Amino acid sequence: MSRRNSSRFGTRARALWLVLAAGAGLLLISALTGGELLAQQASAGREYGSFPRIGSRTAVWIAAEVHLMFAAFVLGVPIFAVMTELIGILGKDERYDRLSKEFTRLLLVAYSATAIWGTVLVFFLTTLYPRVWAHLTEIFELSMWVYAGLFFLESFTLYLYYYGWDRWKYGAAKWWHWTLGILLNVWGTTVMFIANAWLSYMMSPPAAVTPDAAPGGVKLWSAIANATWMPINIHRLIANVVFGGAVVAAYAAYRFLAARTDEERAHYDWMGYVGNFIAISALIILPFAGYWLGREVYAYNQQMGTTMMGGFMSWLWIIQAFLIGVLFLAGNYYLWVGMGRIPGAERFVPYTRWMLLILIAGVIVWATPHTMIASREELEAMGGSHHPFLGVLGLMSAKNTAVNLMILTTFLSFLLYRRANAVPQVSWARTATQVQGVIFVLAATVVTFYGIRGYFVSAIVRIGFSVYQVLAVLFAIVSVTTLDVLMLRGAGSRGAIRWGEMPARSQYALFVLAVTFTWLMGLMGFARSGIRQHWHIWEVMRDRSEWAATPALGYGAQVISVCVLIFLGLIGFVFWLGGLVEKPKLVPEAAEGD
Amino acid sequence: MRERPAMLATNLKILGVVLATVAFYTLLANMIPQLESEVPEEVAFGGEVTPEELVAAGEQLFTGAGGCTACHGLGARAPNLLTDEKGTGTIGARCGERVPGLTCKEYLHESLVAPGKFVVAGFPAMPDVTRGLTPTQIWTLVAFLEIQGGQVDVTAEDIARAEQASGGGAPAPAPGATAAAPAPAGPPAGASLEPLAILRGSGCFGCHQLGDEGAPVGPPFTGMGTRLTPDRIRRAILEPNADTARGYEAMAGVMPPNFGQQLSAAQLEALVRFLSGLK
Repeated sequence: MSRRNSSRFGTRARALWLVLAAGAGLLLISALTGGELLAQQASAGREYGSFPRIGSRTAVWIAAEVHLMFAAFVLGVPIFAVMTELIGILGKDERYDRLSKEFTRLLLVAYSATAIWGTVLVFFLTTLYPRVWAHLTEIFELSMWVYAGLFFLESFTLYLYYYGWDRWKYGAAKWWHWTLGILLNVWGTTVMFIANAWLSYMMSPPAAVTPDAAPGGVKLWSAIANATWMPINIHRLIANVVFGGAVVAAYAAYRFLAARTDEERAHYDWMGYVGNFIAISALIILPFAGYWLGREVYAYNQQMGTTMMGGFMSWLWIIQAFLIGVLFLAGNYYLWVGMGRIPGAERFVPYTRWMLLILIAGVIVWATPHTMIASREELEAMGGSHHPFLGVLGLMSAKNTAVNLMILTTFLSFLLYRRANAVPQVSWARTATQVQGVIFVLAATVVTFYGIRGYFVSAIVRIGFSVYQVLAVLFAIVSVTTLDVLMLRGAGSRGAIRWGEMPARSQYALFVLAVTFTWLMGLMGFARSGIRQHWHIWEVMRDRSEWAATPALGYGAQVISVCVLIFLGLIGFVFWLGGLVEKPKLVPEAAEGD
Repeated sequence: MRERPAMLATNLKILGVVLATVAFYTLLANMIPQLESEVPEEVAFGGEVTPEELVAAGEQLFTGAGGCTACHGLGARAPNLLTDEKGTGTIGARCGERVPGLTCKEYLHESLVAPGKFVVAGFPAMPDVTRGLTPTQIWTLVAFLEIQGGQVDVTAEDIARAEQASGGGAPAPAPGATAAAPAPAGPPAGASLEPLAILRGSGCFGCHQLGDEGAPVGPPFTGMGTRLTPDRIRRAILEPNADTARGYEAMAGVMPPNFGQQLSAAQLEALVRFLSGLK
């Protein structure tokens, strides 16, 4: 590296450090000064502040959502960074180590953006909603201090993890380095759990907390361990992995399209595949966590559950079904196109049209409304409370069947992709393949059987059937994968995967995936927060501001889109910023030549 | 650099894909019916309040901020109120005959402030609305429901009494703080000692099944005598939260704890004898 480049590199690294430190500092300042700001607001006796043009609610909404998007990314990426690092250590495969380091580099700069948006959110809350903030700080004071402390630990663990990568690369030091990655996840997950306690308390405060109860009298642990806390923790943990994988895949897609050498193109093709694999694999289990959360919401408060699924938000689930349909279709499309670069995959191509058919049918069923809010005139026009034909497809039985068959189909896509160029060497390979086929058919039969049976039993029994359907699919995924791993041990190859030989259109599918995941995250955030309706804290503190009414989905979609564009614009910028550090290494000759 | 124009075109394509995807989702969300969750409007009436004023306020609440239409009127989650329910007519036409001894007004009000009391067979119990709505708002709902096939007889006195009992207009602080409700006169099934009449009159079949009758929310009555002793059955009626039947843990706390006040001693013993005999 030339001295000029070296010096440029050093300056940029220092600049990066400064940005990171500023972000961390801002968050700490906000955490420590929050109380002071709060005291000022409280003494003035002001309940609400005002924000020009867009209003207080939308200002807080945007700050919270963009913060959350960055936070999801910086919490999701370390989970699979340590996994890929471990694969690299165990398999002694340098590629995985490099990939893991590249994941972490993306994380580094995104981390300060998370902190900056967190600070914006805290300042907005203290100035625009001082009464709510006062209530929350009085209960969660201690956890907020812990949060700030953990943020410091997380920041410096991340710096050690990334900047120590090459120093602690071999032998026992490598394991210590990997342990840093684990620690990073522990701090990050704990930070998320703490923040989740604050927001889930607003949704489902303990029954003992009434409008007249003094916040100071609420026990901290009872407020933290509220009814929806753990379901939200688990749901977010999985969703963060999905989201992180999708954003990383989009980053790789961009680098693939911008690549100047075959080597670079091959690397980013592989990285895109890994990102997509992570996102779709985690997506497959996400609905189960979602069901749990939904059930807990119902169990906590039936009215809230009804509002969520059947009230003014009922149409939201149709949009959600459509978006998830796009995710399944785009994810599978990317895999099918990717088979073009795998010798031997041709033999599976004829099956893709049938899989596409199942996916499209599944999306149509899933997006069919059942019971919607309707006026008396609409009910009369429809001839009853349900549409005579669509009402049948809109039932939970049909929807559960559709989504489980879509999951099975996507799993089959992965399986075919994995098997494409492999030639099993074990003598029982044929039998094992037949057993796998039987397991698939059995799982699909169980799912379909309970789907049909659900029409002939009461609603309560029908809900229970979804458990059997889910178990059948999970059993198929686990048993078929186990068989596959055992069968492909020491397998021969029909030819190496031609990484980099991927048509550009496949990379645009990765962009669609990333945008859709981001938009979906915004939509679900709206649903989760919106079901509180005109309550800051459900049935404890009413929203008395001019922004108390929860807007319709049309307006919500506009705000979500603004958040998505802010996030994507900023993440693009921080990735570019992060890329500057590596650039001199990649193209020194070109830089000199220019 | 030669590659710059090509990369610029790629960048523009990526931007186009991103913007088109975001725009499509935004458009889609704006094409569906737009429903806003309104804030329940605080209402106050003087002594001269007319039925029309009450009905208008009730309708606004029912179709808007009250969130009632999320279940009622759809046929699946709760009985139809504004349209015919299985040939029994609209709610105003049938409310007076739902529970013997209760007028339409009493039945509707009681259903709102103590929703666990009269659960319609085949449907789950309604959520408690008293934490979210003021007594006046609840009475406007009663008036609106009465007019659906019946006559409004809610008066300013009803409202004043309820507000006074709740402490002056603020929403009741906790579930169960429903002293505003006029207590129904006498036991739910009149003075009948006939077990099935008591079970039906008390709304037990809303959650428990006997043969084909009732809903499988709580433990079935069928075969209860083989599972529980008479003492346990008695305790389950008087203190439903003392024990929870295995397999029904999620339903703990759903059964109203006030049957001890509603049933006469003779009715309670008739029920215990009847249920113990179901083997």
